Amino acid sequence: MIKKSSKVRDYKELTKALPTMDFLEPESVYIHLQNGRCKTYDLHVKDGDHVTVGQVIGVRHGGFFEQPIHATVSGTVGPVTKKLHRTGRKVDCVEIRNDFKETYHESVVNRPDHVIDQLTQQEMVDILREKSLVGLGGSGFPTHIKLATKDPIHTVIINAVECEPYLSSDYRLIIEDPQRVLLGLKYILQALKAERGIIAIKSDKNPLKEVLDQVLTVKFPDLPVEVMKLGNHYPQGWEIEVFRAALGLDVPYGELPTKYGVISFNVSTTAGVHDAIKYNLPVISRYFTLTGDAIEFPQNYHVKVGTSIKQLIALSEGYKEEYDKVNVIMGGPMMGVSTVSDDVIVSKTTTSVIVLADTDYHEEPCVRCGSCVYSCPARIEPVQIMNAVKKNHKELMKQLGAYKCVECGLCAYVCTSKIHVTDYVRKAKKLVGDIR
Amino acid sequence: MSYTPTIVRKTSPYLRRPQATVVRMMRDVVIALLPVTAFAVYNFGISAVYILLAAILSMVVTEYVYYQVIDLLNKESFQWKNKSFTLYNYTALVSGLIYGLTLADGTPIWVVVVSGSLGILMAKHFFGGLGQNIFNPAALARVLVAINFATFATYDAHVADIDGVAGATVLGVLNDSSFSTAMLADFPLWRMFTGIGLPGSLGEVSALLILIGAIYLGVRTSFEVRIPIAYVLTVFVLAGVVALQKGLGIWYPLTHVLSGGVMFGAVFMATDPITSPISMPSRVYYGFALGFVTFIIRLFGALPEGVVFSILIMNMFVPSFDYVKWSYPRFTKRGTLLFAGVIVVAIAIVMAGVHYVG
Repeated sequence: MIKKSSKVRDYKELTKALPTMDFLEPESVYIHLQNGRCKTYDLHVKDGDHVTVGQVIGVRHGGFFEQPIHATVSGTVGPVTKKLHRTGRKVDCVEIRNDFKETYHESVVNRPDHVIDQLTQQEMVDILREKSLVGLGGSGFPTHIKLATKDPIHTVIINAVECEPYLSSDYRLIIEDPQRVLLGLKYILQALKAERGIIAIKSDKNPLKEVLDQVLTVKFPDLPVEVMKLGNHYPQGWEIEVFRAALGLDVPYGELPTKYGVISFNVSTTAGVHDAIKYNLPVISRYFTLTGDAIEFPQNYHVKVGTSIKQLIALSEGYKEEYDKVNVIMGGPMMGVSTVSDDVIVSKTTTSVIVLADTDYHEEPCVRCGSCVYSCPARIEPVQIMNAVKKNHKELMKQLGAYKCVECGLCAYVCTSKIHVTDYVRKAKKLVGDIR
Repeated sequence: MSYTPTIVRKTSPYLRRPQATVVRMMRDVVIALLPVTAFAVYNFGISAVYILLAAILSMVVTEYVYYQVIDLLNKESFQWKNKSFTLYNYTALVSGLIYGLTLADGTPIWVVVVSGSLGILMAKHFFGGLGQNIFNPAALARVLVAINFATFATYDAHVADIDGVAGATVLGVLNDSSFSTAMLADFPLWRMFTGIGLPGSLGEVSALLILIGAIYLGVRTSFEVRIPIAYVLTVFVLAGVVALQKGLGIWYPLTHVLSGGVMFGAVFMATDPITSPISMPSRVYYGFALGFVTFIIRLFGALPEGVVFSILIMNMFVPSFDYVKWSYPRFTKRGTLLFAGVIVVAIAIVMAGVHYVG
């Protein structure tokens, strides 16, 4: 196969049509006290204290990324234990035992619409900072920093492309809760004084357009928002590709899109903006996909942040018995992180867990077919970087632009010889670092 | 929830394109060559079968013996099914078949075997086997025949209905009397296109069947379609320039494209991914360079045929097409402008050459 290929089989039929299952009353939740960016933390509560939903129980320190920690259920605080994080490291987690009363903290209020209409950009940024909203698509980048941009913004793009195979939680979120997303977008447009909003979806997801268009005409006739169908390929959901496809705008490597007057947010994040602005609520629950070919009953869940994934796997009737080796992947199957155990927790930024039967691919020598070069969305030459890594030629790796790689995994996916090209490029990236 | 399988850690991505395999790619080349092969057997009879078998077996057996010897030298225990043996992914078979199809029908079997074995050894295994070779094994083997055993590689022309020019190929005639229209009487264009009743190498006479193979490969995306297009187009345009300069008709460029190994070489030899550049623009430039070199050899060289030589020559320059300082995976304005300039220079060279030499 020598071609520029960006079609990845998407396997979304496993979960796409099924209604989301609510699982909002776990026995107990585990809240991450550290994450990839914040290594230290302060915990304001101790074993045995009573907390309510939305209450601040501590703060993660990380300079720029400092953020308060919120309780996601009401109940009693338990001990601090070590659990696996999305990044693959073990981090401290505090347990909160659910009292099933679902009492909200007094800070959670219903802001009337006329108050919201008066909010300025700075006030909204402050609310988002207090509610520690981050990019829920997986980046975990604090939303308040993005929203506080000083550049004039003319277009806000809501990224609902969800190009990773298997995942359908964003899809279900729009189908089931379109108003939350549109209100969130309305608040963002208001904060940034942008004149145009675009909701970017994949071209094969027609139901999303139907739902959004209907809600737009009925509920928000004045909102300057359009639903735009982008290409049906991978990685269409990469921010740069979204701008390229939706606006014809090429943001060069190393520059922020805000410089060009555009900004993008993930769908879940937009829904999170709505919750924070309207109800003063932090992210206490999220849409979550549990799928894969080695699980009995793939399903989308609406879960509390902090729910144990073991419990969700049990709800999905467990692993299929015909596979004795599986990969448990947090995130999508192209970019996600594989874990060593299923003892993991749904954090704010975990979009999904995918359980795949473990396959060992037979690697053959590279036949220089060039598919990786044709397909690379970052426009680098993965096979050349691989050769540079094999010879440990750092200067060459730098010249080949290995640092531009976004690790989308397409080069390994299309490889004729089934070589794990992405791993080589990743190695090169580590060796040369980011020379921006 | 009683059953928990072993959880294995891998790195992303966890999916692979199922239909992307080396076996599929190489098998497709064999399938695309089948019509050409069948036509060769129909045309030249049992001698074609012998030559093709000798070509394939010489390459495959040489590869097998080579890997067994290497394993012996590495003091590994003997196995009939060698771990590095590449017959299962068709690569040696493809090289052998292509090599056989480029041969003249009168080539003695021992010449085929010696050149085939040397070809795959020198072009492929001296450089480290599959994926490491600089030169196309089939092209190198063919050149070994052409240079070492030139007098043996004759066109016996078992084809009956050519009068007066028995044993001479279209290009042979064209080389002797470059710009005369007389040859058209012996070789009408439809005959060159279909290959019926045309003398020449086993597989390269029928442009039609080669095109069918090319379309199959193109549909299956098993080769880079830009290389043959650039190659054939370059030969056509350059020959067209000469035709304009000399006042010849459209038959002249068409003869150049349809005769000899241009179609065969462009579709099956130049597209060998291992010995061609890696990025899309480089491949177009590579196809152009092949066409240019082929045409220069044909017009000004002593040899009637230039395809295999041009492929070997340009094989050497593949790393410079991919050189990091100027290679870029997408077409750029600057690159396209430079390329246009090079085309103009190439045309000027050909015109000057024809003016002073031809």
